[in-house]
Amino acid sequence: MKISLNWLRKYVDINIPNEELIRLIGARLVEVEGVIDETSKYDKIYVARVEKAEKIPDTHLTLCQINVGTASDSLVQVVCGAPNVREGMLVAWIAPGAIVPASVKEDAPFVIGKRKMLKKYESSGMLAGADELDFGDDHSGIVEIDPKEAKPGDLLADVFNLKDLILEIENKSLTHRPDCFGIIGFAREVAGIMGQKFNDPDFLFKEDTFKDLVLKQTKTGLESEDQKIDIEVSDSKICPRYSAAVLKIKDATEKEKYLTSMQVLLAKSGMNSISKIVDITNYIMLLTGQPLHAFDFDKFVKVGKNSSPKIAVRLAKNGEKMILLDDEEVELNENDIVIASGDTPVALAGAMGGKNTMVDDETKQILLESASFSLYNLRKTQMAHGIFSEAITRFTKGVPCGGTFNVLAEASKEIGGKPVAVKDYYMEPNLQPIVKITTKEINSLLGTNYDEKLIMDTLKNVGFEVQNDKSELTVIPKYWRTDIHIKEDIIEEVGRLLGYDNIIPTLPLHGTADINSMFALKHKIRDLMDKLGANELLTYSFVSGKLLEKANQDQSNSYKIVNSISPELQYVRQSIVPSLLDKAFLNEKLPVEQFAIYEMNKVYRKEWGRDEEDVPVEKNSLGFIIAERKKKETAYYAAKKYVARLLGEIGIVPEFLPLKNSNATLRPFDSNRSAEIVLKNKTIGVVGEFKNSVRASFKLAEYLAGFELDLDAVLQSAKLKKEIRPFSKKSEDITITTDTSYEETLKKVQKEHPGARIEPGTIYQGIGQKTKNMTFHLEFVE
Amino acid sequence: MEQSEKIGKLKQKLKELNAEYAKIKEIKAERRAEFGRQLNEAKQKVLAEIKKAEQDLINKESKPIDITAWSGVNEPLPEFYPATLGSKHPLMAELDRVTGIYQMMGFDVVESRQLDDEFHMFDSLNFVKEHPARDGYDTFRTEEGLIPPAHTSTMQHRVLKSYKHKLEEGEAIAVVVPGRVYRNEDVDATHEHTFYQCEGVYVSKDCTMGDMLGILREFFEKYYEQKLNIRTQPGYFPFTEPSLEFMIEKPKSLGGKKGDFLEMLGCGMIHPNVLKMAGIDPLKYHGFAWGGGIDRLVMLRYGLGDVRHFESGNLNFLREF
Repeated sequence: MKISLNWLRKYVDINIPNEELIRLIGARLVEVEGVIDETSKYDKIYVARVEKAEKIPDTHLTLCQINVGTASDSLVQVVCGAPNVREGMLVAWIAPGAIVPASVKEDAPFVIGKRKMLKKYESSGMLAGADELDFGDDHSGIVEIDPKEAKPGDLLADVFNLKDLILEIENKSLTHRPDCFGIIGFAREVAGIMGQKFNDPDFLFKEDTFKDLVLKQTKTGLESEDQKIDIEVSDSKICPRYSAAVLKIKDATEKEKYLTSMQVLLAKSGMNSISKIVDITNYIMLLTGQPLHAFDFDKFVKVGKNSSPKIAVRLAKNGEKMILLDDEEVELNENDIVIASGDTPVALAGAMGGKNTMVDDETKQILLESASFSLYNLRKTQMAHGIFSEAITRFTKGVPCGGTFNVLAEASKEIGGKPVAVKDYYMEPNLQPIVKITTKEINSLLGTNYDEKLIMDTLKNVGFEVQNDKSELTVIPKYWRTDIHIKEDIIEEVGRLLGYDNIIPTLPLHGTADINSMFALKHKIRDLMDKLGANELLTYSFVSGKLLEKANQDQSNSYKIVNSISPELQYVRQSIVPSLLDKAFLNEKLPVEQFAIYEMNKVYRKEWGRDEEDVPVEKNSLGFIIAERKKKETAYYAAKKYVARLLGEIGIVPEFLPLKNSNATLRPFDSNRSAEIVLKNKTIGVVGEFKNSVRASFKLAEYLAGFELDLDAVLQSAKLKKEIRPFSKKSEDITITTDTSYEETLKKVQKEHPGARIEPGTIYQGIGQKTKNMTFHLEFVE
Repeated sequence: MEQSEKIGKLKQKLKELNAEYAKIKEIKAERRAEFGRQLNEAKQKVLAEIKKAEQDLINKESKPIDITAWSGVNEPLPEFYPATLGSKHPLMAELDRVTGIYQMMGFDVVESRQLDDEFHMFDSLNFVKEHPARDGYDTFRTEEGLIPPAHTSTMQHRVLKSYKHKLEEGEAIAVVVPGRVYRNEDVDATHEHTFYQCEGVYVSKDCTMGDMLGILREFFEKYYEQKLNIRTQPGYFPFTEPSLEFMIEKPKSLGGKKGDFLEMLGCGMIHPNVLKMAGIDPLKYHGFAWGGGIDRLVMLRYGLGDVRHFESGNLNFLREF
């Protein structure tokens, strides 16, 4: 949203420097994303009068002599290409040396100079169109200025109050503040944060526009007696209030002859000038935050095929179609709200009007709508049809019901037509909540020491009604504050308006923290693995169905994401190793010659079911892969060395037993060349090489192994300290010729050398020999 | 081994055949078609052989090894890689540092879940049903309607409930919740669908917004090892009231100048409905909570411009840390 500071100043007296104002707005109201400085954008642009205009033969150009008042002693000659230039008109003249305003933002702003046109006509500066002045995209001719407003030599910036700063407001943090989406509401807050009382315009509370009509109260709301319009709302939840007026008008689509301040304000707020009526409805929306829509009333009656006009507000039928003002045909769904005349849709509520009731040159009467629709429905409409207009942006914040009728009256007055009929559908007027609160409650939550008067004034400044009875404040918000319900809402008002920055930071005293043992374990592993030359990775929690397949895991055991970004991220992973195999391929390709990579993260499987909170059982897992592109040895032993060292660091000495299980963790591993890691008869992980099919599907080099550890199980057995070994006194290597496994041979050695610490040595087997020579390194300690 | 050598040889042959194609220009025009046909035939044959050999390799029974041993037969004992190759993931190292500081300040650490439900993600946090704020989080969902959480606040209700006893014992609840979160959005240099946050929750009998600002400032001063100016901005979250955005003046170590402010996190006084839902009486206790991104801290620290590096698994990047 764009906010012109000059427009704001019409409603609030700002007596602090702009910089300070912008800081205050940021600190006490909303994030200011950017500030567009237009204080010198219109320098050297003057009002001028065309004294003489002669067509240059065989061209579309006109040779003009213009009176630029005090800006030059004599008439200035300018060549103009616009069709509407004529003698006597007041124009905007961009003097030589000035920058064309529309080009200010460009990399190379266009500086007007003195030129020679058609080789012989001097042209000094240029006569500007609305688009060149950055007042929208109208390129049909040059702008004309009302002689009642200005005279030659006046600076355009002075006539139209153009020396301005435009604030670019981040809408998101005003999600709950529909009132701030209008200049008046914004100005009210600005007054509040400067400690001033805001004076609300009268029209927000009463209307005196429809006084020629006799209005009476009915069951469904207010209506004019003579000429009636029926409003039928299928469900007041989708449209709690609908105010409508029929106005007799003249020259509906005519544009103002002269450039108006309203057009300038629209442009500064980021909207284009369309026609007088549309401009007024947009202007009133920017002013009040209440979007309006004008239908051609006679067309409305005609498409309705009813003898008496009826406005029907209902949900669309699935597949129902209509053509909108932008000539697009849309297919509606049952969440969209439509305005219908009888049965025929004439507008996609809150989003855009229908082509069939568009206001045009022939329009004699308009039906003006000022309503509030369900923000939930409109939010979905916005997404479904991709409409992000200024109007729907406001509707999706929840337009307050309290103001629709008063704004309708103000817009009718501004349009100036003669009201013929009025109807205000308002079934269940909202009751404004009353909040009772004490100054102590406010101060004890904020950590402040504000006195009662300051609090009351602060709230009153922005329109709250506040009474103090004995110990309590009674706070009543105005109708536009739909966000106020509880004490905390009032505390926010006080804290915010007086400045959170004025709250003195303090430090509470509280107890000491407990250690999170899983966190501490991971920290320890991270330190160790770093030392052992391994690299910690983080990979996505979501994997593709193909990856699960490649890792020999079952897709139906994975939670499936229904709105995944791509098929690559469709399933919640069951273990870490498959993700690492994927990244191993990337790194082998880079190429990285050798690497040991690991990740500690959470995994889920459907087979594990739900926990006591009825959310899926979650496990912490550590996956590890070691790979080299050219090595020929048995990778299993490298992975085993890493996992044994890792567990040793936390005092765990596991057994390495043949694979018995086939759960998801184990499924990528080759049972001939892998071991289950077992502790006290419980499997806590697996280490080994991968099935040939798995390795081939990941396209990885032959030297490849890995392990996966159940960190929750590891944590259960982890000891705080690892065993520090006593110094050895003596050591020797022995070699044994054997045809049994390492484990069995080791047992024999242990028997023969009780008390010795035994480390594995190399294993040698001669060609054609059945037996192996196993070397053991023995250390004897005291 | 022989099988893979065979594949290597076949691939070499394929390379040679591909090189033959270049010769086609030298062949007389009338013979070109025949030359091409023969070459294609030969190539198809080699391709088929490669496919078969690769299939054989996959189907080949692997040779069992002695899983109890510590090295292969006639192989040297394996070695660890040198420490110079090792690295910690920068996000995890940062998270360790962040939680370390909070622990020093008396905050327990509870890790966030990575798959949660609608109740914890929204309902327990005072999000009205169908409220557009729910859409604002662009959550992923599973077939069962579970949610990979879009913010670590998904743990707030659990933390409040499980630490409630502290209040009854006259103490404060002081917990931080680091964790991985997910948003359904397109990835670019500054957006990731997977990232890390750290949440903080504090509840006691008489804590104030002043305490919140004090704790947050204290944390960032310890984190950046210097005194800092702070700023706030009104914000909106359904689960805090009032809600704020918290900013710090850009630290010197990050090249900050006076008046440069960095948005660090969202925070606010815990909404009474959130306390109530966890069984804590909002008339007796106040609380505040905050949450901010970890990825951004790391990017600021190292001057990184692309968030996509973090989950890339690219060792050329990771070995820098």
